[in-house]
Amino acid sequence: MTGFSTLSALILVPAVAAVVVMLIPERRRELVRPLGVILSLLPLPLAVLLFMRFERGEAGFQFVERVVWIEQLGVTWHLGVDGISLLLVVLTTVLVPVALGASMHIDRRVRLFVAMNLLLEAGLIGVFLSLDLFLFFVFFEVILIPMAFIIGIWGSENRIYAAIKFFLYTAFGSALMLAGIIALALLHRDQTGDMSFSYLAMLDLDLTTGVQRWLFGAFALAFAIKVPIFPLHTWLPDAHVEAPTAGSVLLAGVLLKLGTYGLLRFNLPLFPEATLEFVPLMAALAVVGVIYGAVVAIVQPDLKKLVAYSSVSHLGFIVLGTFALTSQSLEGGVVQMINHGLTTGALFLLVGIIYERRHTKLIADFGGLASSTPIFAGMFLFIAFASIGLPGLNGFVGEFLILMGSYPTLPVYTVVAALGVILAAVYLLWAYERVFTGPITNPANRQVSDLTMGEVLLFVPLVALIVLLGVYPKVALDVIGPSTDAVLSRIESTTDYVSPVAGFDMFNSGDGE
Amino acid sequence: MTGVSYLAIAPEILLLVGAVSVLMVDVFAQPKPRVHGWLAGATFLAVAVAIGAQWHRIGIDGVGTSFGGTLFLHNLSVTARSILLVIAVLGVATAWDMLVGLGRRMAEGLSLVMVSTAGFMLMGASADLIMVFVALEIGSISLYVLAGIVRNSPTGDEAAMKYFLLGAFASAIFVYGAALTYAGTGLTNLVEAGAAMSSYHVARPAVLLIGMSLLVVGIAFKVTAAPFHAWAPDVYQGAPAGVVGFMAAAAKVGGFAALINILIIGFDRYRGAWADGLALIAAISVVLGTLLAIQQSDARRLLAYSGVAHAGFILTGLTAGLVGTASVLFYLATYSVMLVGAFAAVAVVSGPASSGSSLDEYRGLGRRSPLVAGVLAILMIAMSGMPLTTGFIGKFQVFTSAWDGGFRWLVIVGLLSSVAAFFFYLRLVVLMYFRPPDQSQGHPSTSLRMRLVLLLSAAVTVVFGVFPAPLLGWLDQAGG
Repeated sequence: MTGFSTLSALILVPAVAAVVVMLIPERRRELVRPLGVILSLLPLPLAVLLFMRFERGEAGFQFVERVVWIEQLGVTWHLGVDGISLLLVVLTTVLVPVALGASMHIDRRVRLFVAMNLLLEAGLIGVFLSLDLFLFFVFFEVILIPMAFIIGIWGSENRIYAAIKFFLYTAFGSALMLAGIIALALLHRDQTGDMSFSYLAMLDLDLTTGVQRWLFGAFALAFAIKVPIFPLHTWLPDAHVEAPTAGSVLLAGVLLKLGTYGLLRFNLPLFPEATLEFVPLMAALAVVGVIYGAVVAIVQPDLKKLVAYSSVSHLGFIVLGTFALTSQSLEGGVVQMINHGLTTGALFLLVGIIYERRHTKLIADFGGLASSTPIFAGMFLFIAFASIGLPGLNGFVGEFLILMGSYPTLPVYTVVAALGVILAAVYLLWAYERVFTGPITNPANRQVSDLTMGEVLLFVPLVALIVLLGVYPKVALDVIGPSTDAVLSRIESTTDYVSPVAGFDMFNSGDGE
Repeated sequence: MTGVSYLAIAPEILLLVGAVSVLMVDVFAQPKPRVHGWLAGATFLAVAVAIGAQWHRIGIDGVGTSFGGTLFLHNLSVTARSILLVIAVLGVATAWDMLVGLGRRMAEGLSLVMVSTAGFMLMGASADLIMVFVALEIGSISLYVLAGIVRNSPTGDEAAMKYFLLGAFASAIFVYGAALTYAGTGLTNLVEAGAAMSSYHVARPAVLLIGMSLLVVGIAFKVTAAPFHAWAPDVYQGAPAGVVGFMAAAAKVGGFAALINILIIGFDRYRGAWADGLALIAAISVVLGTLLAIQQSDARRLLAYSGVAHAGFILTGLTAGLVGTASVLFYLATYSVMLVGAFAAVAVVSGPASSGSSLDEYRGLGRRSPLVAGVLAILMIAMSGMPLTTGFIGKFQVFTSAWDGGFRWLVIVGLLSSVAAFFFYLRLVVLMYFRPPDQSQGHPSTSLRMRLVLLLSAAVTVVFGVFPAPLLGWLDQAGG
C-alpha cells in the first residue's frame, strides 16, 4: 500500500464532501450548488487514474487495501478493484456529477439534496470496492437512506409511499442476506478457527451443496430485489416515477447494478454448485423479465414509467447473461451493466428535462416536439438507438455478446429473450414517434424551449462513452474479460461444469496473445 | 474473598449517602436547585471513582463475592454499574427541567432517581435471590413514585398506579420463584445453588424448573419482554417525559444483569431449558413489539413497544449463554443511551413534565428544530439497526450469538421483524423530514443541558457504531 490509497480516497472524498456541503452556512446558500457539482467531480479524476493504472490482463483484485476495522468481529476495511467493479466505479463517478448538474431546478433544501447525493456516491463506490462481506453489507444498507431521502423529499406527489416501499423492499432482501453473511462468517470460524468476513477467505470455504443452496437463496433474494428480477420488481416503477431526475438517473444508472453485480461477485463464485442448480430458475425469470418489462413498457402512457419498465427488460438480459455461464455471456453482462447505466441514465435525464419544461410526462400530452425542440429530439433518438442496440453504439455490443454467449448453454431462453430486442425498438421508437413526430396538436408544445448549452454539456460525457463503447469496446472488454473468465474457471474448477467454447470471438481478437 | 469488602458495595453506599444528603440539605437549608445539582454531580463523580476502584480491584484480585457470598464483585456487575451511572447522569440532566418544575419537591425527585440507580446497581451485583429481590424492590419502588411525581397530572397518577400494581405482581412472582428454588435446593445463594444442582442428584427437578420459570417471568416484567409488557406503553405514555428514558433504561440494565447472574451462574445445569424458554419469549417480544409499534400514534407508546422488541433482541443474544453475554452487554449499553436520548427528544418536543407525545407533534421538526430532529433521526435509524450505528453492531452481535447457539429460526424471525420495524422508525423520520410543519407549531426551545444530552447520545451511537472495537474489547472481558 502506497502512502496515497486511491480506493479509500474514492469512498472518503464524496463522504467528506457531503459533510462540507452540510457545513456551508445558510447565508452563503448560493454557493451550495456550484460547490456541490465541483465536489462531486473530485472522485472522477481518481477513478480515471485508477482506470489508467489498472493492470490489463489481470483477473485478480488490484490496489488492494486492508486495515483491521473491528478486531473482535474479524471485520476489515478491505478494498480492491477488479475488471468487474472497475468500470462500475468509473460509471458512478461520471453519473453523479451529471445527476447533480441536472438538478439545478431543485430549490428546496439544496444543501441536504447535494449532501445526500454525495453520500449516495460514497456508498455506491464502497459497495463495488468492498472485499469484506461485512463492509459490503454496511455500504449496501447505508445507500438506502440517502436514496429514500432523495425520493421522499424531492420526489413528486406520491413520493413518501414510493420512498418507503423502496426502502422496505430492499431492506427485506438484505435482512436475509445478513443471515447468510453471519452464517458464512461462522462457517469460516468453524473451518479455520477465526472469524472473518473476507471475500477471498470465503472462496476457500468448503461448503456442501445443501448449505450452498440456502446461502445462494439468501444472497440471491437480496440481489434479485435490487436488480429487480421479475416478480420482485414492483417497487421500481413507483420509485422511478416519484423520484426526482437525479434520483432516477442514479437509481437506474447505478443502484440497480448492485443486484447484478452482487450476483456475479458473490453468488456465482461463492456457491458454484448451487448456481448450476439455480440456472434454469434464474434464466427463466430473467427471460420473463425481458419480455414482461418490454411488453408493459409498450403500453405505458407515462414516459418515465416506460423508461422504468425498459430497465426491467434490459436487466433481464444481464441476468440471463450472468447465468448462461459462458465467457462471452458473462462479459456481455458486465458490459451491459455499464451500457444500461449510460443509456437509461441519459433517458431519465431527457424525461426529466421535458418534465421541467411541460410539467407532464404523459406521452399523450406531447406530439410534434421535433419541430420546436430539434436538438432534444435528436438526442432522444440517439439515446433510444443506443438503448435498442443499434450497431456502432454501446447497446449492441452488450446485447450481442449476451445473446451470442447465452445461445450455446441456454438456446431456448436466448431465442425468446432476443424478442426483447425487437420489443425494445417497438416501445422506444413508438414513444419517439408519438412525442416528437407529426404536427403539433397541443399548443403548449409550441412554446417548449430546446436544450440549453448547459444541458447539452451534461450529455457530452454520456454520448462520448456511448460511442466509444460502441465503436471500440475493447477498452472495456480488455478490463472485464480476465475477471469474468476467472469467475467462470472458478465454477469449472469446483464443479464438473464445462463451459462451451465459442466458435469465434469477434471483439476480443487479442485474447490468445 | 468472601469476607466483607465495602468496595463491593461502595457505589450503592455513595448513591444512598448522596440521596440522603440531598433530602437533608433540602430540609434544613432549602437551597436553590443549583445546589442540588452540585450535590448530585459530586455523588455521581464519587460513584465513578468507586466503580473505577472496583475495576482496579478486579484487575488485581480477580472476581469474587463478599458479604457472606451475597454480593458479586465481578465484571458483569461493574459493567452494569458503569452503564447505570451513565444512564443516571444523562437521566438527571434530561429530567432537570421537570425536577425544577416540582418546586419544593425537587429534592424528593432527585433523590428517588439516585436511590433507584442504587437499587438497580445492586440488582446486577446480587449473588443471592433474596438480595436480588431486595435490590429489585429498591429500584422499582423508586420508579413507581417517579412515574407519578407530577401530582396534578391524572395520566401520571394512572401510570404510577398501573406500574405499581403490575410491578408488585411481578415482584410476587419473582419471590415465588425464589421460594421454589429454595424448596428444590435448600439454598438461595446462586453460586451454591448452582454448584448443588450440578453436583448432586436433584430430587425434584420439576420444582426447580417451575421456580426458574417464575424467576424469569418476574424479571421479564421488569424488562418489558412480551407477553409481560402490558404495563409499559401506559406507563411510558403517562409518566413525565423527563424521567421515562431513565425509567426504561435503568430497569432493563438491572433486570438483564440479574437475569444473566441467575441463569448462567445459578441455573447453568438447565441451560437447555432456559435457552429454549428465552428463545420463545424473545420471539414473542420481537414479533409482538414490532407489530404493535407499527400501529401507534403516540411517540412514547411507539418507543415502549419498540422497547418490547429490543428486550426480545437482548434475550436473543442471551440464548447463547455465557458466550452471548458480551453481545447482550453491548446491546444494553448502547440501547440504553439511545433510549435516554430518544426520550430527551420527546421531552423537548412535548415538554419535560408532559404526558403523551402525539406523532403529529413531530411534523416538520426537521425544519423547526434541526438539532432535535437530527438526533432523533439518528437514534431511530440506530434503533432500526442500520449500519454505522451501534444499533447495527448490537443486532449483528446478538444475531451472531444466537445463530452460533443453534437458534437459527430466532435469527430469521429477528431479522424479518427488523425489516417490519423500519416501518415505524422511518415513520418518525418521514414525519420530521418529509412532511411540512403545521402553521401553529413553533420551534421547541432547548436548553444547553438538553442539547448536550442529545448530542452526546447521538455521538455515542454513531462513534461506537463506526468504531465499536474499544467498547467491544472492554465488554468482552466483562462477559465473565
